[in-house]
Amino acid sequence: MKTYSLTRRLITAVLLVELCSLLALIGIASVYEAISHFRALDVVLRGRADSVLGAVQDAEDPEDNLMLYGTEGLAPKRDIYIVRDDRGRVIGSQGWPGGEQELASTDTREFRNLTVGGIRYRVLRRPGLRVVDPGDAKGGVARHVIILYGSRTHPVWERVRNAIAFYALSGLLLLVITGVVLLRLLRGGLQPLYELVEQAGKISVTSWNLGPSSQARYVRELEPLVSAIESALLRLEQSFAQQRQFVSDAAHELKTSVAVVKSSLQLLTMRTRSAKEYEEGLERVTVDSERMEELVAKMLTLARLEEGGEQPESYRIVELGDVLRDVAEHFRTLASFHRISLAVNADTSTLVFCDPDQLRLLCSNLIHNAIQHSGAGTEVRAIVSSQGELAQLIVEDDGEGIPEDVLPHVFDRFYRGDPSRSRRTGGTGLGLAISKAIVLRYHGAIRLKSNPGHGTSAIVTLPLVPSTTQRTDHRTTRNFEKGAVTS
Amino acid sequence: MRVLLVEDEIRLAENVAHALRDGPGFAVDHAEDGQTGLDLAENLCYDLIILDLMLPKLDGLTVLRRLRERRDSTAVLILTARSERSSIIQLLNSGADDYLSKPFDLGEVIARAKALIRRGKGMASPALRLGDLELHTGDQSVFRAGMPIVLSPMEYRILEYLMHRPRAIVSKRELLEHMYDFNWVHHSNVIEAHVSNLRRKLGEGTNPPTIENLRNRGYRLVMEYTTFKEAEDESA
Repeated sequence: MKTYSLTRRLITAVLLVELCSLLALIGIASVYEAISHFRALDVVLRGRADSVLGAVQDAEDPEDNLMLYGTEGLAPKRDIYIVRDDRGRVIGSQGWPGGEQELASTDTREFRNLTVGGIRYRVLRRPGLRVVDPGDAKGGVARHVIILYGSRTHPVWERVRNAIAFYALSGLLLLVITGVVLLRLLRGGLQPLYELVEQAGKISVTSWNLGPSSQARYVRELEPLVSAIESALLRLEQSFAQQRQFVSDAAHELKTSVAVVKSSLQLLTMRTRSAKEYEEGLERVTVDSERMEELVAKMLTLARLEEGGEQPESYRIVELGDVLRDVAEHFRTLASFHRISLAVNADTSTLVFCDPDQLRLLCSNLIHNAIQHSGAGTEVRAIVSSQGELAQLIVEDDGEGIPEDVLPHVFDRFYRGDPSRSRRTGGTGLGLAISKAIVLRYHGAIRLKSNPGHGTSAIVTLPLVPSTTQRTDHRTTRNFEKGAVTS
Repeated sequence: MRVLLVEDEIRLAENVAHALRDGPGFAVDHAEDGQTGLDLAENLCYDLIILDLMLPKLDGLTVLRRLRERRDSTAVLILTARSERSSIIQLLNSGADDYLSKPFDLGEVIARAKALIRRGKGMASPALRLGDLELHTGDQSVFRAGMPIVLSPMEYRILEYLMHRPRAIVSKRELLEHMYDFNWVHHSNVIEAHVSNLRRKLGEGTNPPTIENLRNRGYRLVMEYTTFKEAEDESA
C-alpha cells in the first residue's frame, strides 16, 4: 500500500469540505444576486416606461392623434422602446426596428426577455391610459397606449458576475488562510506523536523503554499506543532476558561438559599408564561424552519445542494409555534394577490429539524422574483418567519429595532440585522444562505436587478428544482441537 | 599440601582431584556444594581452596566472601564457566587469588595450584633452599650438598611442608592434616615412620640430623649452626 500523510489527508479533507460549502454559498448567493438585480432592473424599467408614458402628448390635430413629445434625454441611449396607440399606430420608438411585430404578438406578460439585433433585452409591456383634453366638457378622451420598454440585461449579468467573482476570490483567500492555519495547528497538535516517534526510534536492545517524559502519555488518543508499546517492550525485554539466561546457562553447562571430557583425557595423558588404565580411562571419557551428547540433544529438543509454531501435520489422535503402557514397558528393566515396581493404571479410553513422539517423550521424562527419585523397594504409579473435557496423567512416586522452596523452580531450565544428586544420576536439568514445553504446546497444564518425605506426583492435563469422534475423521477433530482450546 | 576442591560436577571434581593427587601429590578433599565447602574450610588446614562458582546451596562468590569475612587467608583459585571481564574483576576484588575458566587445562590447574601455595607460604621461587638442602617443587627432587636424595612421595611431601616453614615447630597433627585428606586420623601412626625415614635419608653422610623431634610438641626443620650461619650470610 502506498504511504500517505495523515496531515495532508486531513488538510485536504477540510479544504474540500470548505470548498464545497463555498461553492454552495456562491451558488445561492449568485441566485440571490441575480434575482435582486433583476428586481431592481424591473423597478427601473417601470419608472422609465412611466416617463415614456408621460411623454405621450395630444397631437392637437382633428383626429385627436397622440404623439410623443420631448423624448430627448428621456431614456438612456442603450434602451429601446416602442409606443403604440389604440388605433394601432406606432407613435414613437427608439432603437427598435421591427418593434411592431412584437407589439402585435399575443404575449401579454408584463416582463419578458427578448433578443433585438443580437442583444438581449429585458422588456416591459406597459399598457397606459392617456386622457386627451382633460379640460373639456366631456372630461377628455381616454386613449389607451401600449408601451414596450426594454433594457439591456448584459450590465445586470455583469454585476452578478462581479459579485460572484468577489465571493469566489474572498472564498479562495479563506481557503488559503485555512490551509496554512490548519497546517500549523496540526503540526503543533501532532507534536506529541512526532516526539513519540523520536523516542520509539531510540529503543534498542540496550535501552528498553520510552523516555519517561513522554508527552504522548498525556494525550488521550496516544495513551493506548504508548501503553501498548510499553507492554510490548516489557514482554520483549523479558523474553530477551530469558533467552540470554538460557544461552548463558547453556554455555555454562556445555563448558562444564567439555571441561569434564578434556580433563578426563588430560588425566590419562599426564603420565604413562598401563593398557588397562587407558582402557578404563577411555571408557570414562566415552561416558562423559555421551552425557554431553545427551545434554546437546535435550537442548535442541527444548529449543525446537519452544520455537513455537505448531506442526499439526504430525498430530494424530493418540490413546494416552497405550503410549503410557508402551513407555512403562521400556522402563521396566531400569525399575527392576533399582528394585522399584512400576504400576500403570490406564483403563479408561483417553484420546488426545498430539504428536505421538512428543507424548512418548513426556511420559518417559515423568517416569524416568519418578524412578530416579525413588528409593529401592518403593512403587511408581502412573495413572490415566479423564475428567470432563480433560485427560489427566498422574505419575506418583514414594521418593524423598521436593522441598517447598524448590517446587516453584522445578520447571526452570537447568534447574536441579538437588544438584549433586541429579548430577550423579546423570540429569541435565532439562527434563521437566521439556515436559512443560510439550504440555504447553498442546494447551494442557502440568504441575508437581510434593509431600516432602512421602513422595511427589506430577499431574498433567491435556484437552481430551471426545470418544464419539471417529478416529479417522481428522477434520472434525482438528476443528474440535481448535474450538476447545482452553489452557 | 592439602587442597579443598569445591565443585558440584562430580566427574570434573574426580578428574581434578585425581590430577592433584597424582601430580604434585597433594591431599585433596572434595565438597559438592558451597555450604559443605565453607564448613570444611573452617578447619583452616588447607593450603589452597579450588572453588567452582555455580554451586548448589551457596554459590562460589558467597563462599569466597564468607571466607574472607572470617579472615581466612587461604589462597583461593576460582574455576568459572563465565569469562566475562566484569565477573572476573568482581571475583578478584572479592578476595580470589586467581581464576581459570572452563574448559581448563589440567596441567595449568596444577601449575597455578602450586604457584598459589608457594606464594601463600611467602616463597617466590619453585626451588626451596635451606642451608645446603635444596628442594625443587617442579620435578620433586631433593639435593643435599649437591647430592641427590631419593625420597618416597610421602617423605617428599613432609619435607616440602617443613621446608615451607623452616625453624618453626610443626605439630604432628598439623603435619597429618596437611598431608592427608579428611581421614588423616587413620594415618597417625605411619607419620612417625615416614619422618624417621626422612631424617635418616637426609642425615646420610657426615651431617647431623636436621629434623628435630620435640616430644609432645612436634617437629622442627633445623640446620646445623654453621651451615645455618652460612645460609644467613648467603641470603644477606
